[in-house]
Amino acid sequence: MILAVGLSHRTAPVEVRERLATGADALATVLARLGARSELTEVMFVSTCNRVEVIALAPDDRVDAALSAIREELARHGGLAYDAELAAYLYDIRGDEAVRHIFRVAASLDSMVLGEPQILGQVKDAYDAAVAAGALRGKLARCVSRSFAAAKRVRTETGIGAGTVSISSVAVDLARRVFGDLSDHAVLLLGAGEMAEAAARSLGRGARALRVCNRSFDRAAALAGEMHASAVPWEGLEAELVQADVVVASTASRTPVVTRDMVKRAMRSRRGRTLLFTDIAVPRNVEPAVHTIDNVYVYNVDDLEQEVARGMNARRAELAAAEKIVTEEVTQFLAWSRGMEVQPTVVAMRAKVRAVFFAELERSMGRLKHLEGDRAALAQMLDSAVNKFLHAPTTRLKARAADKSDAAELAAAVRFLFDLEDLPAAADPEQTERANQPQAPDTDEDDDRTVN
Amino acid sequence: MKVELVDLLFGATVAAYAAACLMFTAFLVGWPSGESAAGGARPLARWAPRLVAFAVPLHAAHIVTSSLVLHVCPVEGIHFAMSIASMLIALAYVLARSRFRIDVVGAFVAPFALTFLLASRFVGTGGGPKLRSAILPFHVAANLIGVALFTLAFAAAIAYLLQERHLKQKNLHGVFQRLPPLDALDRAEHRFLVAGFPMLTIGILTGTLWAREVEAGGTAEIARAAFSYVSWALFGGVLLLRAAAGWRGRRAAYGTIAGFGFTVLVLLLYIVRDATSAGAVAAVGAP
Repeated sequence: MILAVGLSHRTAPVEVRERLATGADALATVLARLGARSELTEVMFVSTCNRVEVIALAPDDRVDAALSAIREELARHGGLAYDAELAAYLYDIRGDEAVRHIFRVAASLDSMVLGEPQILGQVKDAYDAAVAAGALRGKLARCVSRSFAAAKRVRTETGIGAGTVSISSVAVDLARRVFGDLSDHAVLLLGAGEMAEAAARSLGRGARALRVCNRSFDRAAALAGEMHASAVPWEGLEAELVQADVVVASTASRTPVVTRDMVKRAMRSRRGRTLLFTDIAVPRNVEPAVHTIDNVYVYNVDDLEQEVARGMNARRAELAAAEKIVTEEVTQFLAWSRGMEVQPTVVAMRAKVRAVFFAELERSMGRLKHLEGDRAALAQMLDSAVNKFLHAPTTRLKARAADKSDAAELAAAVRFLFDLEDLPAAADPEQTERANQPQAPDTDEDDDRTVN
Repeated sequence: MKVELVDLLFGATVAAYAAACLMFTAFLVGWPSGESAAGGARPLARWAPRLVAFAVPLHAAHIVTSSLVLHVCPVEGIHFAMSIASMLIALAYVLARSRFRIDVVGAFVAPFALTFLLASRFVGTGGGPKLRSAILPFHVAANLIGVALFTLAFAAAIAYLLQERHLKQKNLHGVFQRLPPLDALDRAEHRFLVAGFPMLTIGILTGTLWAREVEAGGTAEIARAAFSYVSWALFGGVLLLRAAAGWRGRRAAYGTIAGFGFTVLVLLLYIVRDATSAGAVAAVGAP
């Protein structure tokens, strides 16, 4: 059974999430520990800033033991005791619901910011690490890789990733709508607010220059050092307005630090070049009247948040379509998975019937010496008879397994009826899939070919 | 045979321009999927400029074959002048669109190309000017190239004003998302003016010399000359004020639109003249 155990932004505060979060360096250790647990057949470990989760495959009769093992390893990894407090933050999801959960996570339907694109890359990294560690190889690997295909469909067939849904992405989008390529333009960060810093970082990545101007030059220099920018003194603000094309303002000043007169003077020196202000500060840092100057545009925090809300609404409107795709993909995977569960039984049943028929042929050939020349034709006839005889039970078993969740009971009944009791209840899907490849055809079409 | 081929090429060119117009319009209004759905109207924005590019060689072939049928030099008569002007507009757009990233400006260019081409069909066949001169081909060629470049500058100016209006009103949706960035439009408009202005200057100089040579001096000629000088002064003023006083953006866009308006007036005077008299003279911009 597939299991998902962990905590996310929905169940745990950041203080708890960060205790369990794992960097790339420690991932191999965690995977090695989890992989060594005999209760788990396959396992992978997903760690993002909003989610720490163990996804595992365990034998159906050891699910409880597997859940305990995962919880224990998670607590150990975070240096915590598994107690009632930690238990309150952890969720566990099992079976078909766990499969659906994996698909939803990869498609970013369970993310804090709906439709954010990073999660798919993070799950892919976790998948690659688990495959490299040999912890992921069969049914669970197939499940996770199918979730990537589903996520891709969700992304291309719906608008779940469209629009801008954070202040910084709105600021970047706005700057690109005004200037296009930012590589010829300079960005000025005014103040050192956290949100403005994020916006300036995003803008600064593609810009010709990024400067930081703050009342405290030391703070400006420290921040500039972190952002590979240059610091400028507060007194030089007006001169900087001549150089910069995008200004991100977020000082703690109670009164505007950028006035209309100041910008009018700067625009004369700029010879009319366009100037864009994104004023994220409250109270506002840029006088509203600055927006009335030709070729100057001022967007305050309300304007930007309006865009964020619009982007979020647009994404929510796409949620139903995205969930529909996820449901389709999950249904397909579950059908495959249940088909795989009965596959060992199908293989064994066919092998047994064929063995019985051919043993009878060998026994009869002793008495039917005049048919020795026709042995090949007789063998072919028996093969065809086996195929036709088992066609209905095989297809019905597979179909029933794909549609219903009682595949295990059905397989057990077949094993009982055909005396295949010594067969294991479920086999490695990879092995059974391989075993299935060279199988005798089991369709009428193929049977006809054999008979003729 | 030749007549059928001319008609076939004309029809194909019109169809390509018309299809491009429809696709650009659909893209600008967000049809069919709206802006929320993934992919949206993006394929339209990709294919419409390609259709214009496809129309240009068809258009050139149409001009060549029809001039062979009519035995008329392509730079003579308002009929061919308009057709060549529309082809040059489309050609200049095709050459400039990737460089300036102004693909969507085609939404304003394609209708112009289509209108000029259709007008050329119905204005008359243009039997060639009676008042020939050695400088006439230079005059016509310079004016045609100038008109093509000013049409593009005008299209960029219109798109700029739309974008600027959206930005000032803080409305970042609809057509704002589909037009090129504000700065790219301003730059493109300026460059088209810089390229078109010398052409217009040559057109006006050669036109003045030609008028003196043939002693043209009717009311229509004087009006055309006056409008040409006004458009030259407006375009020159826009360029001068941008260089000297930093007049960019909205002011430059208004100046460009005004200059283009006078260019269109000159063109209209030619069309009216051609429609009322058989004596076709030359192309646009001539005094």
